[in-house]
Amino acid sequence: MAALPWLITTPYWRGILVLCAMNVLLALSLNLVLGYTGQLNLGQSAFFGIGAYVSTILVKTYGWNFWLASLAAVGAAGLLGLALAAFAVRLRGHYLAIASLGFAVITYQVLINWENVTQGVRGIYGILPPVGSTTALFYLVAGIAVLVYVLLDNLVRSPIGDTLRAIREDEISAASLGINGAIWKAFAFGLGAAIAGLAGCFYPGFVGTLVPDAFNIVESFTMMAMVIVGGMGTMIGPVIGAVVLTFLPELLRGFGELRLMIYGLALMLVVLFMPGGMVQAWNTLRKRLA
Amino acid sequence: MTDLLALVVQQSVNGVYLGCLYVMVALGLTLIYGVLNQINFAHADFVTVGAFAALFTATRFATKVLGLPDTGAYLLSMVAALGAGALLGLAVNAAVFAPLRRGDELRPLIATIGVSVLIENGQLALFGPIPYQFDSPFSRETIRIGRIFFSAQSVLVVAVSAAAIAALYAFMRFTFLGKALRAVAQDRETAGLMGINPNLVIALTIIIASALAGMAGALLGPVVVLTPFTGASLIVKAFAIVIIGGFGNVQGTIIAGILVGIIEAFTVQYLGSGLIDLVVFVLLLVMLVLRPTGLIAERKEENV
Amino acid sequence: MSKSFGGVRAVQNVSIEVPENSIYALIGPNGAGKSTLLNLLSGIYQPDAGSLYLENKPLIGLPAHRRVRLGIARTFQKIRLFKQLTLLENVLAGFHIHQDAPFWKSLFYGDTGRFRDEARELLEFVGLADHAGERAGALPYGQQRMLEIARALATRPRLFMLDEPAAGLNAAEVEFLLKRLEQIGGRGVTVVVVEHNMDLVMNVAQRVFVMDHGEPLFEGTPREVQANPAVIEAYLGGEFQ
Repeated sequence: MAALPWLITTPYWRGILVLCAMNVLLALSLNLVLGYTGQLNLGQSAFFGIGAYVSTILVKTYGWNFWLASLAAVGAAGLLGLALAAFAVRLRGHYLAIASLGFAVITYQVLINWENVTQGVRGIYGILPPVGSTTALFYLVAGIAVLVYVLLDNLVRSPIGDTLRAIREDEISAASLGINGAIWKAFAFGLGAAIAGLAGCFYPGFVGTLVPDAFNIVESFTMMAMVIVGGMGTMIGPVIGAVVLTFLPELLRGFGELRLMIYGLALMLVVLFMPGGMVQAWNTLRKRLA
Repeated sequence: MTDLLALVVQQSVNGVYLGCLYVMVALGLTLIYGVLNQINFAHADFVTVGAFAALFTATRFATKVLGLPDTGAYLLSMVAALGAGALLGLAVNAAVFAPLRRGDELRPLIATIGVSVLIENGQLALFGPIPYQFDSPFSRETIRIGRIFFSAQSVLVVAVSAAAIAALYAFMRFTFLGKALRAVAQDRETAGLMGINPNLVIALTIIIASALAGMAGALLGPVVVLTPFTGASLIVKAFAIVIIGGFGNVQGTIIAGILVGIIEAFTVQYLGSGLIDLVVFVLLLVMLVLRPTGLIAERKEENV
Repeated sequence: MSKSFGGVRAVQNVSIEVPENSIYALIGPNGAGKSTLLNLLSGIYQPDAGSLYLENKPLIGLPAHRRVRLGIARTFQKIRLFKQLTLLENVLAGFHIHQDAPFWKSLFYGDTGRFRDEARELLEFVGLADHAGERAGALPYGQQRMLEIARALATRPRLFMLDEPAAGLNAAEVEFLLKRLEQIGGRGVTVVVVEHNMDLVMNVAQRVFVMDHGEPLFEGTPREVQANPAVIEAYLGGEFQ
C-alpha cells in the first residue's frame, strides 16, 4: 500500500487513492455502530459533514491551526453522535432508521440554510489541504486509516467488543448480564461519529471547495453500501467494501455516472444473496476449496 | 373577509390539498407495513416513476400517437402511472420482500434502500437532473371562491384521493380480499391456518399500495418540481406521516397526512420553502421522542 | 407488589420472601403471573405499587442491568442467546460486570483473555466444553438452555432466577438440569425457579410459592403444597403426581 502512490502516476488516480482512504475511514466508523453494535444508523453523513464544516470554518474564518481545528471538529462530531445515541436508546429497528435519517436531513438542512456561518449552497472556496501534494495527503489519510483500523480491531477483540456484540444480538438478555445498553450505544455512536468527523476534516482540503451537497443523505447510503457489501460486523469487511466500491465505478470508466446505481444494485444483491458480504463470499469459497 | 383570515383559509386550503397528495403517498407505505411489518424505502420513488410515466404518456403517447385531447391524455396518463406503480410493486415484492420473508427483519429495509438508490439514479441516467415541466390541463386553470384561490388540479387531487380512500375503505371492509388483508395484518400465522394464502395477500397489498403511489405521482407531477430525486424529499414526509399517524394505522395516516400538508403550507408562507424539510423532520424527531407509536396507535409492551 | 398491563392485573398484592441460600420454586397454572413476578424481581418491569428489597437494599427503580451488579442473574422463558456468537463468546459476555480493565488497555492490547479459563469451566459445568467454538444458534434446544445458564452464572450471582428452564427439555435433559441446579444451590447461591413442571419442583425445591390469577395462593414445603386442597383445585387436571 505504501508503494501505491509511486505505481499510480496519474494525478487523477492518486486522488482516487485519497478518496479511498477516506472511504475506508468512513466505512470503519459506520461498521462500529451498524456492524458491531447492531444499530441501524442512516445518519452517518451528518457527522462526516460536521467534521468538514467545523474544521473548515475554524481554519478559514477564525484562523485556527488545521490540527487544532480538526481536533475540535472531531469533538463536535462526537458530541453530535452522542445526541443521536439518545434516540437510539429509546428506539429500535425501523424507528431508529428513520430517526437517524431525520438527523442527517436536519443536519444537511442546517448546513444549507445557516448561510451566515456555512455560506450555504454557495460554498466555501479556496480550501488548502494540510499537506502539499496529493501523495502526501494519501499517506496522511491512509496512515490515519491504518491507525484507526488497528485501534478499532483491538477494541472489538477486547471485552468492549463482546459487550457491543451482546447489544447487537439481544439487548434484553445483555441487560440481564449487567450491560447498560444506553451507555454503550452512546459510546459506539460517539466514537463512530468522531471517526466520521475525522474523515470529514480531510475532505474539504482534498476537494478544494466545500458545499453541503457533498453531505447529502446519499453519503449515508454509500457508506452503508460499503459496509454491507464488504462484510458487516467484521473488521476487514468495510475496508474491502470501501476499496471495491471506490475503485469499481472508476474502473468501469464509461459508466462513471452510474456509480450510485452500482452501489444501489450491489446493496440489493448482497442483502439478498450474500448478507455477510464479500467476507462471507470469501469464507464460503475457502470452505469449498478445502 | 379580513386579510389575515383570508390568508389562513387560503393556506389551509392549500394544506388540505397538499395533504391529500401526501396521504396517497403515505397510505401505500402504511399498508405495506401493516401487512408485512416492513418499510418500503423506495416507496416515494415509485411516486416519481409514476409521475414520469404519466408525463411521457400524456405528452408523447396520448397526444401524439393517439391524438387524444389534453384532458383525455391526462386521464390516460393517470392510468399509466397506476400501472407503472403496480408493476414496480410486483417487481419489488418478487425481488425483495418475498425472498426475504423469513430472516432478519431489517434486511428488506436495507434492500429497499438499495432499490431506492437504484431507481433514483436510473432515472437520473435516463432523464437527466434538470427538472421537468409537467403541466396537466387542470393545473393551468384557477378557480376562485371569494378571496380564496385554488387550481383545478387541487380539486382533482382532493377528489381522486377521496375516491381512492373511499374505494380502499370499501375494499377492506366489504370484499373478501380486503378482509383477508386485515386478517393477515393482524396475525399472519392464524390467517394462514384459516385458509388464506398470506403470500398472495401480501403480494396483492404491495401491488395496490404501489399502484396508489404511482397514481399519486401522476397527480403530484404538475404540482412539485419533478426531478429524479423528488422521491428523496418525499419519502421524508411520507415517513413523518406514517410515524405520526402510527405504522399500519390507516385512519391515523390520513389525519397525519392532512396535518403535514397544512404544516407545510403554513411553513412555506411564513418561513419560506427551503425550511420545509427541516420543520417536518424536527416534528418527526419530536414525535419519535414523545410517542414513537404514533398519535393514535396503542402501545405494546414487549413480551419477554 | 402489584403490576397491571392495560387493565390486566398480572400480579396483584403478591408478597414473597425468598430465604437466602435455598432453592425456591414459584409455581402456578398458566397465566398465574409467575413470569411477570420474575420480571419484576429482575428489573425488566417496575411495579405499579409495592416494594422490593435484596437484603435490605431497595430495588425499586433500579433498572435490570444495575441489579446484576447486586448479584441477581436470570434466564428467560424464551431462550435469548447471542445466536451469531460462539458458545465461548456468549459466556465471556457474561463476565461483563467483572471486566474492569481501563479503556486504554482495550484500545492498545485488545483481548487479554482474562476470563477465558473461567468461561471454559462454566461450559464444562453444563457439559458443553466440546462445542466452545460453535455458533450458539446451531445448538439443539436443550443445550441452548444449558448455555444460557452457563452465561448467566458468569455474572457470579448470589440470586439466580430461572424462568421455566425445563420447558421443551426431554427427561434426560431435565435430570441433568436438576443436578446442576442442586450443585449451584450447594455453592451458596439462592436459586429461584419458576416452573410449570411439578416433578422438577418437588425434587429440588426446599420451599414452594404457589400463585394463581396473579395472586398468592399458598406457600410451604413441597409436601405441604402437594397436599393443599386449594392448590390442587387451581391445578385441576394439571400435572400433579
